Amino acid sequence: MNTVDSVGPSDADLLRAHVDGDRDAFGELVRRHRDRLWAVALRTIGDREEAADAVQDALLSAHRNAARFRGDSAVTTWLHRIVVNASLDRIRRRQAHPTVPLPDGSRSDDRPSGVEPAAPAADHDTALVVRQALAALPADQRAAIVLVDIQGYPVAEAAEILEVAVGTIKSRCARGRARMALALGDLRGRDHGHPPAGNQDAAETVPSGPGTPQPLPGPHDRRDQK
Amino acid sequence: MTGAEFSEVDIDLLADYIGGALEGTPEESAVATLIAENPGWREAYERLGGGVALVRAELGRFEPEPMPSDLAARLDGMFSAPALTLVKGDAAAERPGSRRRWTTPIAIAAGFIAFVGFGADYLSGRNASHDDSASSVAGTSEQAAPAAGTTILSTGTDYTRSTLASGPPQPLAAGDNASASTFGENSVPNQSRTSAKDPALARLTASAALQECFEAIERENAGGPIGVLTADYARFDGVPALIVRFTAENGDWVWATGADCGTPVAGADAIDKVPVR
Repeated sequence: MNTVDSVGPSDADLLRAHVDGDRDAFGELVRRHRDRLWAVALRTIGDREEAADAVQDALLSAHRNAARFRGDSAVTTWLHRIVVNASLDRIRRRQAHPTVPLPDGSRSDDRPSGVEPAAPAADHDTALVVRQALAALPADQRAAIVLVDIQGYPVAEAAEILEVAVGTIKSRCARGRARMALALGDLRGRDHGHPPAGNQDAAETVPSGPGTPQPLPGPHDRRDQK
Repeated sequence: MTGAEFSEVDIDLLADYIGGALEGTPEESAVATLIAENPGWREAYERLGGGVALVRAELGRFEPEPMPSDLAARLDGMFSAPALTLVKGDAAAERPGSRRRWTTPIAIAAGFIAFVGFGADYLSGRNASHDDSASSVAGTSEQAAPAAGTTILSTGTDYTRSTLASGPPQPLAAGDNASASTFGENSVPNQSRTSAKDPALARLTASAALQECFEAIERENAGGPIGVLTADYARFDGVPALIVRFTAENGDWVWATGADCGTPVAGADAIDKVPVR
């Protein structure tokens, strides 16, 4: 998903200009891509303050290290990689230094704190359940799903961004979706009478039911490689 | 569907199959055989496949999420040419009823020229000898008297508790590689000079972040409005720190604040604070 302004300079041109001393070039590059970079960080971390810090740290790093960009990938891929890595680093730091849980126990060290903006009113409940299920995923699976299923990046580009094999992205997405599907069944089982939303036919194949979700294996992908 | 009813099914393997992660592998045909011949696998395949389709549909409905305007403005300030960065302090100074004594227009302009000189070069990763930020700091210190407004310094000095209140160091006379001997008679004693361009303080080179830091100090000091005299991008006990000297109703103070100064979580991120007598 490379964006090249058909009128202005390309992303690569801007980055080169920045390296050559043009003080406006990097700012222009950021303005082009900031919304998508922000969305990836926010949905991976799930906390607006932390996402803002991650984006800022990542862009400062990109600004400083622009000269090291070798052009092996698109500039946007490179920027996304830095932002995603900064986001995952923050999640890992949160895990390494757990915070004191809030009184309502809502804060998890790996999971987003659930402050992502509300969904449109029409599908509010379903969207909320989906966000909860997404937030409960291991960070690597969540990052893959954010890139592919939410932001719409091709699997190959998501693999480049996360620096893993295409098969690994497929596996992370597949397992993450499966976890979410199971979680949706579980959550909906607690919400009796809630009508299914979205794909009605598909929803009928995911009946609510009691029981404890089967624990799935850890975040390690069967096909982790590279 | 919770997964419990598929106890004999390897859900991850089945998920990989549904998601195409097994394409071209021996496991693909093995799973296909299980689905064809094992009722438990077949039922799990049909139900999980439907659930995954629903999940994908819901994920595809997520609304675009534009960057918040305050963050976008902050990034604009960080990555724009120096002339654009000057606006922030002036705007704050002109705000009706503003209590911010540190934003005297002339002083803030002089201060931010030094700040921008430091910040832009810092962000560009340039060698100070090429475009000497230290000399611009020196020039600014002479233009902006501490009592009249905020002077921004970037000495890289490593302060300690005992040297914190001794006063701001004299402007550097030479380039970035100047030794400690370039400090004047009033320089803080026993300081080892390290690089002023510490990446940990990068966030605070943005004018908006700097102002948030000052506001956090004002809140935590709880001594009424503060007038910031100097802010020095430096270190404290070896840790990157912004050294802020200010006056308030409860006296004159110098605070060593950490790199997270002004963030909602860290507040002023005060490492140490000493009164100036």
